[in-house]
Amino acid sequence: MVETSYIPQTLEEALRIRKETGAKPLAGGTDLMVMHRRGTGVVPSFPWPVMIISSLEELKYIRREGDDIVIGSGTTCHAIEDDPSVPYAVRTAASLMGAESLRNLATIGGNVCNASPKADLPVPLIMMDAKVTLVSATGSRTLLLDEFITGPKETDLKDDELLLEVRIPLPEKDYSHVWYRKIGTRKANAISKLSLSAAVTLDADGFIKDFRSANGASGPKVARSTEVEKILEGKNVTEIPSVLEQFLDAYDAILSPHAMPTYRRLSTRRMLAHFLTEVASGTQNMIVT
Amino acid sequence: MQQTSIGRSTRRVDAIAKASGHTQYIADYTFDGMIYAKMVRSTVPRGKILDISIPVLPSGYSFISAKDIPEGGKNQLHMIKTDYTCFADGEVRFIGETIGLVVGPDRGVLQDLVDQVKVTYEEGEYAVTIEDGLACKGGAFVGEDNCFCDFTINKGDVDEIFAGSDRVFEEEINTGWQEHVHLETNGAIAMPEGDKFVIHVSAQCPFYVRKSIASLINRPYEDIIVRQSVTGGAFGGKEHFPDVLAGPLLVAAYVTGKPVQLIFDRHEDSAYSVKRHPSRTRFRTAVDKDGNITAMDVDVVYNAGGYESCSYVVLQRGVFHATGVYNIPNSRVRGRAVATNTFPSDAFRGFGAPQTLFAVETHLAHIATQLGIDPFELKKRHFLKKGDVTVTNGHIYETVVLPEMAQQVLDESGYLEKAKTYAPGSLRGVGISFYNHGGAFTGNGEQMIIKARVRLRKNSDDTVDILIGSTEMGQGFQTALTKIVADELGIGLERVRYPQPDTSVVSDSGPTVASRSTMIVGAIAQRSAARLREQWVEGKELVVEEEYTHPEGFPWDQSTFQGDAYIGYGWGACVIEVEVDPLTTEVNTKGIWSSHDVGLAIDELIVHGQINGGIAQSLGYAAMEKLDFSAKTGFKQTGLSDYIIPTSMDFPSQVCTLVDNPYEFGPHGAKGMGELVFNGASAAYIDAVSRAIGKEIRSIPVPPEILMEMM
Repeated sequence: MVETSYIPQTLEEALRIRKETGAKPLAGGTDLMVMHRRGTGVVPSFPWPVMIISSLEELKYIRREGDDIVIGSGTTCHAIEDDPSVPYAVRTAASLMGAESLRNLATIGGNVCNASPKADLPVPLIMMDAKVTLVSATGSRTLLLDEFITGPKETDLKDDELLLEVRIPLPEKDYSHVWYRKIGTRKANAISKLSLSAAVTLDADGFIKDFRSANGASGPKVARSTEVEKILEGKNVTEIPSVLEQFLDAYDAILSPHAMPTYRRLSTRRMLAHFLTEVASGTQNMIVT
Repeated sequence: MQQTSIGRSTRRVDAIAKASGHTQYIADYTFDGMIYAKMVRSTVPRGKILDISIPVLPSGYSFISAKDIPEGGKNQLHMIKTDYTCFADGEVRFIGETIGLVVGPDRGVLQDLVDQVKVTYEEGEYAVTIEDGLACKGGAFVGEDNCFCDFTINKGDVDEIFAGSDRVFEEEINTGWQEHVHLETNGAIAMPEGDKFVIHVSAQCPFYVRKSIASLINRPYEDIIVRQSVTGGAFGGKEHFPDVLAGPLLVAAYVTGKPVQLIFDRHEDSAYSVKRHPSRTRFRTAVDKDGNITAMDVDVVYNAGGYESCSYVVLQRGVFHATGVYNIPNSRVRGRAVATNTFPSDAFRGFGAPQTLFAVETHLAHIATQLGIDPFELKKRHFLKKGDVTVTNGHIYETVVLPEMAQQVLDESGYLEKAKTYAPGSLRGVGISFYNHGGAFTGNGEQMIIKARVRLRKNSDDTVDILIGSTEMGQGFQTALTKIVADELGIGLERVRYPQPDTSVVSDSGPTVASRSTMIVGAIAQRSAARLREQWVEGKELVVEEEYTHPEGFPWDQSTFQGDAYIGYGWGACVIEVEVDPLTTEVNTKGIWSSHDVGLAIDELIVHGQINGGIAQSLGYAAMEKLDFSAKTGFKQTGLSDYIIPTSMDFPSQVCTLVDNPYEFGPHGAKGMGELVFNGASAAYIDAVSRAIGKEIRSIPVPPEILMEMM
């Protein structure tokens, strides 16, 4: 049992503590406090020193930088849910996380770094090629979120680093159609049983310029394959029916659910088929339901 | 003067203190020198304890176990019987069984100590399911057949009918465990007071607690004073289970001489507490050429877990409700409660009736579909009515208004039209169910076992105290009873107090269970108030006490289970409409319509609250509340992130109707209703979902992943 905890007041101080002690960051605490609870009337106990970073105002922002939406790691899910500049799928995923009280505490940084296969935000973020910027006392680096999360509950975060921000590149041309759906264990305050985020960009002649989709809770990490996406790219929407089965089979092969395999595979298949069929039908709705 | 009018909605007498956060619950109590307890529990489903290794305990800390029971004391909890051991000694029967308590001043230190206790077992083969138990997997540990009880009731001659019947329908229906999820977890404090002991406890039945634990330290009941703390929900989960906390705590207080507190956190309260009995009900049903049911042969088995607790009584209620609200001319019902190596099953809202009512409603719906008629048509043909003979060869005493109630829910929901329009498998469906609940204790329990008494004390300032053991646990009884007494006395609500029961002060009005409090205790309280009114002298102190009197004309033989199992029933009708999502098979409940006969509502707002909550709990039971066994943790789901109960978002607002049908022996015509409202919605929901997916559902719960596999 380690009793040490730090409460840095600035990012600079946090990075110094991180480098000197290796203390692990705790932001909203909605995962860590539960994971390390010790029963009624007893404070949680962590096996390592803890640094509480929830008071670092420097990490709480949502802003536009060029063609990117940049979200500071200390930004709460509630703030993300409330900001219209955040892309639809990310905003919706944030709005469906846990309960209101949890969303007031839980941060994007925590959700990303906890790297749960059932986490909500990484699904639309990875679909959109979001990047993460990691900082340390000696420098910074930026990499794809999909590469940063290396496995269930595993990331590439180094012992002296903190997650500074998540950077979402906005598509050159707005998606023509977007899909986001979370299947929770119930209609609210639920952990994800399955989630699917997808988007398509069509040109004026109905050719698919871009297609992307990502799944949560259906494998050790968010499932996405640019190879599989290429099956659809360049095709005209009129060709969707003829390539649909081939695409769905290929997409299915990237899923590896360890429980409820039938449910997760079949629901994913049906949702993608529904989305693409709606697109092929020429729907005018950008948000497909 | 605050309005006391019976029927209309009143602000609850406990509303302000609870809503403002002033109410003190058991976890808020502190006493000088109070120490804390943490449980050491078994980690294997079945085994012999070979060794218990305790770490070196710091000063002020002790390990309390069977060895600490004083000479003359018995290591048992006296629930209905005395089979439940207080501390496992020699063997364990399920994961989570109490082995001991570590007690001391710091809860953080206690948790570390508990983590260091090492128990070595010789593990045995264990039984989990009803089939495992009946097959005596690992060897019987109760009697020769693992059955805590096994009995059969007969009406008419079933065998003769089956021999000559046109069609016979056979079916097996299963239901799962359910966790109570009372908002406040279990908790208790035991402490010496003079030469006696006091138990402060969140519980439904203070007198049960003292009866259960007094023999541990070889004392008469009166030496154990039980004071109920304000109880934040129970649903039956605090009927006998508080004994499992209070017993070990009493021994700890006896040994240490200090107040000892034990509060379960949510994880403990979910993983290591009693549950609703899983059930298996098998039917053989004979139908004549006109489509009338002529006989039913029913075999009911409940999974009782490791100890009997109240399983025999739960099973009786299940058996007596097994043919539902129907007059079946010939019936035979066998009931068994089987022992398995799972946490004991126990009381839970409905007390055995929900399982068989779900089973018979579902079975009848399937028969109707196979006969090519609407389930409502088949059901209404067999509705019980006044004077009909019951499954135990008793009679229905009251006027049954099911036809009117059915009409109400049909009209409000548009059931008949929708049932025709929504084709089977169209992903839209409506379902219908009818149900009842026998009020108060089964058979002659009220007169032979409980013998409830109610005491009222008029103080010199002309206020009145209600001094009884019946408890408020969130259901609203404090308000209902205060209204009954104030109304009878013709005084304002603010002049009547109903303090938390203390067994050294109040009379024993019986346990707060079985939907009996308003119906039975309310009637005695009304009679007591009437007597007090006659004797009323301003400024003078007066005490009146009245006893339960059993109405004439309700014979019952407890040895053969023949006669009037109940002296009155609440009745219910429910229609549910659903849509199943074609992509994900998630079920969207589109409408909930119910009608209930509770005699007369003492307070409409409270009754509506009970209906809304009972129906939501019943729908959770059918739709999502899944508990699976785990050989590691007892139950696989051990908290509220994986044991899924519905939120207000999961079901739409309900249309609730009450019919007026005053009950002769209840206060102002009121009868029991707290459990009734749980008993039927699950069957209506499953009927609706079955029709929507075009498949018969025979087992609950059915989360979307199960529905998808069925389709």
